[in-house]
Amino acid sequence: MAAEVIPTNVRASPRRRLPIEAIQAWLFLLPAVVVLGVFQIFPAIAAFYMSLFKWDVVQGAFRGFGNYTDWLYDSSIRSPDFWRSLSTTFTFVIFTVPLEIAISLVLSYLLFQKMRGRGIYRTIYYLPYVTSFVAAAAIFFWVFHPTYGLVNDLVGVLGIGPQRWLDEPSGIFELAASAIGVTLPGLLAGPSLALVVLSLVTIWHFLGYMIVIFLAGLSNISSEYYEAARLDGASERQLFTKITLPLLSPPTFFVFTVASIGVLRSFDSVYVLTSGTGGPLDTTRTVTLLVFKTAFQQAQFGLGAALAFILTLVILLFTLIQFRVLGRRVNYG
Amino acid sequence: MARAIPLVRGLPRFSTRPRMGTIAKHAVLIVVALIVAYPFYFMVTSSFKDTLEAIRTPPTIFPNELHPENYTDAWNRAPWGRYFLNTIFVSASVTILELITACLAAYAFARLRFRGKGILFTLFLATLMIPSEATLIPRYVLMSPSRVACAGFPCLGWFDTYQVQIVPFIASAFSIFLMRQFFLSIPNELADAARIDGAGHLRFLWSIVLPLSIPALITAGLITFLGSWDAFQWPLIVTSKPDFRPVQVGLSAFRQEAGSSYHLLMAASTFVVAPIVLLFLVAQRYLVQGIARTGIRG
Amino acid sequence: MRVKAGILATLMLVTAACSGAPPAAQQSTEADITLSGPVSITLWHALSGPQQVALDAMVKKFNDTNGKGITVTALNQGNYTQLYQKTLGAIQAGALPELAHAYESFVADYMKADVVVDLGPYKDSKTNGLTKESQDDIYKGYYDTNTFPQYGNRLLSWPFTKSLAVMYVNNDILKEIGKPIPKTWDEFEATSLAATKKDASGKVTRMGFAFNTDASYFNAQVYARGGNLMATDNKTVAWNGKEGLAVLQMYDRMNKNGSGYSPKAFDYQSDLATGKLAFFFSSTSTVPFMKDLADKAPFTWSIANLPQAATDPAKAKTVQFGANVAIFKSTPEKQLASWLFIKWMSETDQSAQFASTSYYMPVRATSANSQTLKDYWAKVPQGKQGFDLIQYSSPEPNIRGQQDIRDVIFNMITEVITGKSAPDAAMATATTKANQIIKDAQ
Repeated sequence: MAAEVIPTNVRASPRRRLPIEAIQAWLFLLPAVVVLGVFQIFPAIAAFYMSLFKWDVVQGAFRGFGNYTDWLYDSSIRSPDFWRSLSTTFTFVIFTVPLEIAISLVLSYLLFQKMRGRGIYRTIYYLPYVTSFVAAAAIFFWVFHPTYGLVNDLVGVLGIGPQRWLDEPSGIFELAASAIGVTLPGLLAGPSLALVVLSLVTIWHFLGYMIVIFLAGLSNISSEYYEAARLDGASERQLFTKITLPLLSPPTFFVFTVASIGVLRSFDSVYVLTSGTGGPLDTTRTVTLLVFKTAFQQAQFGLGAALAFILTLVILLFTLIQFRVLGRRVNYG
Repeated sequence: MARAIPLVRGLPRFSTRPRMGTIAKHAVLIVVALIVAYPFYFMVTSSFKDTLEAIRTPPTIFPNELHPENYTDAWNRAPWGRYFLNTIFVSASVTILELITACLAAYAFARLRFRGKGILFTLFLATLMIPSEATLIPRYVLMSPSRVACAGFPCLGWFDTYQVQIVPFIASAFSIFLMRQFFLSIPNELADAARIDGAGHLRFLWSIVLPLSIPALITAGLITFLGSWDAFQWPLIVTSKPDFRPVQVGLSAFRQEAGSSYHLLMAASTFVVAPIVLLFLVAQRYLVQGIARTGIRG
Repeated sequence: MRVKAGILATLMLVTAACSGAPPAAQQSTEADITLSGPVSITLWHALSGPQQVALDAMVKKFNDTNGKGITVTALNQGNYTQLYQKTLGAIQAGALPELAHAYESFVADYMKADVVVDLGPYKDSKTNGLTKESQDDIYKGYYDTNTFPQYGNRLLSWPFTKSLAVMYVNNDILKEIGKPIPKTWDEFEATSLAATKKDASGKVTRMGFAFNTDASYFNAQVYARGGNLMATDNKTVAWNGKEGLAVLQMYDRMNKNGSGYSPKAFDYQSDLATGKLAFFFSSTSTVPFMKDLADKAPFTWSIANLPQAATDPAKAKTVQFGANVAIFKSTPEKQLASWLFIKWMSETDQSAQFASTSYYMPVRATSANSQTLKDYWAKVPQGKQGFDLIQYSSPEPNIRGQQDIRDVIFNMITEVITGKSAPDAAMATATTKANQIIKDAQ
């Protein structure tokens, strides 16, 4: 981060300088402070307050952290739901983010070469980002329709039978294995097909955004590195792995972090594509969806608020771990 | 390391090598482009089909007959004119006001010294972390006409208004950080020069910093505008009357009404998505550069 | 013996009182007042499209003709889920409308905040209520569903947009395969299979039956097979009996032999209309959509009761659908104005008129005499077919936690039709979960 600017005012004495400047600063900050305070921070505090009570349509008894422990281990209905949705959410992240990054990276690399039509490609790839999920959902319902969808027609060409896509609760590994007559139990079954479809839609949505960042990152790599390596006789593949990838690590890291947080928090896409239900046999019920269901379908506001804060902590923890583990491998050149 | 290299520059030496891989590269890019663009293609072509053809399987590549009246039909079925008016007004207001707030706050963070800066910064950062589902009910109560629910204070009573869709979004930590990054990179010499000329912070901000920041402003503005245009969950619960409803909520309601009139739903989706796509096509250069900038800085 | 009876009676009174009944005495005087001046009330509802138009017309008529200075404003709040969420938020904010469209499960939840008015005193009021004759004219099932045993058996909502679960039939297909409309479940399964057509590659081109995963249709089938949904003490479920299991087993068989399939969204409507499907179960409110499709590309269709296990036609049973309307506590004047509106809506002429424009069912038997309804039925005979079945429709449970139990049933059915679980395994898991939910919701 660039150093903060310290204004050099040679006329006034150091003593008098600060208060005036501080007052000005607070005046500048006033609108932001007021709006964020009233509409974000105060509601967050209120929500925290709610999370400490049994709040079943109306405020009930004080429970301290009882709502929190219910989610984590104490309740025979809530705890399994929580851990299930947490695992669904993480599976969602694991499937979506690395794939997103890999695809965007490859496409950016291809686009970076001087070629015709680059602008057109970039524009097309960027289109999904500006489309709201409400509009996109209607289309994807049809594209992945179990009976009439195009995707079924396409996989039919490959010899695969029609699938239920967004309605399919079975895991993808399980589906693949059953085609050759093997059954896979429990966890080995993998994420449900519905979740995978959700991943694909998410990747579709963010493709352009990531490509733009990678393109910028690529353009930042000094050509001298390549020239020097070329003189040493490096092959194309070596150039890519030894120079491009490492020097792309700052934007990759940025994208990885932002994307992970985004997917962990995603609601609109999941809600709209599962019509608000949480998907087939709850296999696409992310934590955000569980919060929504608890608070707005079961009217359990205390429990809902508690879960939301648990999610916040999870995101915080996950981000910190990411910084620790991956941050070290980032090459700032 | 972060030199401002324009995007048009390709990787060196590759352009002189034999173009064996070019066809393969284009092939991959085209296939991906087709996959990415297919949903849009599907949406637009379906919007011109008639009822039965729109739900046929497998879908026809191109409509057998063009039915542009689907658009007028869909338009007449709901007060879209009003929805668009609402959305444009709300989105424009939010964008302008948010940019003003963000610039002022970002300037303070970037170039002014004051106590509590670190704490405030962290607090603002925290607002980005909390999922909106948690604060939904308290914010809803805040907007209600209740007299006692807001910790003893009367609440705002802003249901079914424009304010309710605008005011909570006048400040966004994201925009503040975006502008702050930019303001930090303004050279000190300019600030010194302004001081010597006797210009106060406000004047400096208005006459020098802002004009230099136009790309960042446009970026932040576009992102904000886009977010506001696509807003769904909040307007859904705070507006009941069509008079104040924005287009996304209108589209969602239309989806239920249209039922199996799929061609009409696609027509509506198209004209809801179209303005933003056009805006993007016109302004993409700025959006792209701006996002690139955030990415490099990390 | 006497003493024992006395103690028993006292105990019963005490337990009845302890089930959360607020003093009723105060409300019976509220129900008998007369309005002193103009009153404005707001109705939140979940109707859209033609039904909203129908409601708006009724509201306008009421506003113009009530002569008591009552003005009703009807506002659509989205779909039922969104309406429920908004009402919950309104409870938190202390900003409820005067009345709201509500399913029974919604009302059960709203009552946790004790914000719903007991309609019993209003119904029985000498000044503002209904005569005994009028009360009896309304179908008993509509009272039953709005009476809440967990809240002292009070009448907490009033029938508003009622319908029922029926079977839609494509008569052209039946004619082609030479079979009548099935009356028993075995016939139904056989006819569905007979209607199924596959092409050379084995892909199904015509289906017999469209599965519903919605809990209500499961409940309807349990009823139709002679089963019950809840134990009499409402503490455990009863749909896990042999009837419920039979439903799952039938779904399993039909899934495996290809005569049943899972439609997406409203596909079953267009599938039946285009001759790709022989049967589906749906609400009578689907009639206008089918009529629309028939107008565009004619085909023959009709409505019949679900196949039944009982041989005595008087014992036929299906599930009652549709939402009701609840009045929220506010001022006595507003409560009375709200009651007068919903009472007016349920009177013979209005009920008939609303039914003919909204395609919901009338709430009274005598509406059949109204000319409006007769004209409508002349144009849409399926409307009359539905009407004749109202007497056989029974309500679903309206206990707390019912919404979650519906989700459990939904998952149970999904497991069976996606082949993830065998019927008995799915049933066992679902029963355990459902009973746990009921226990938690006490």
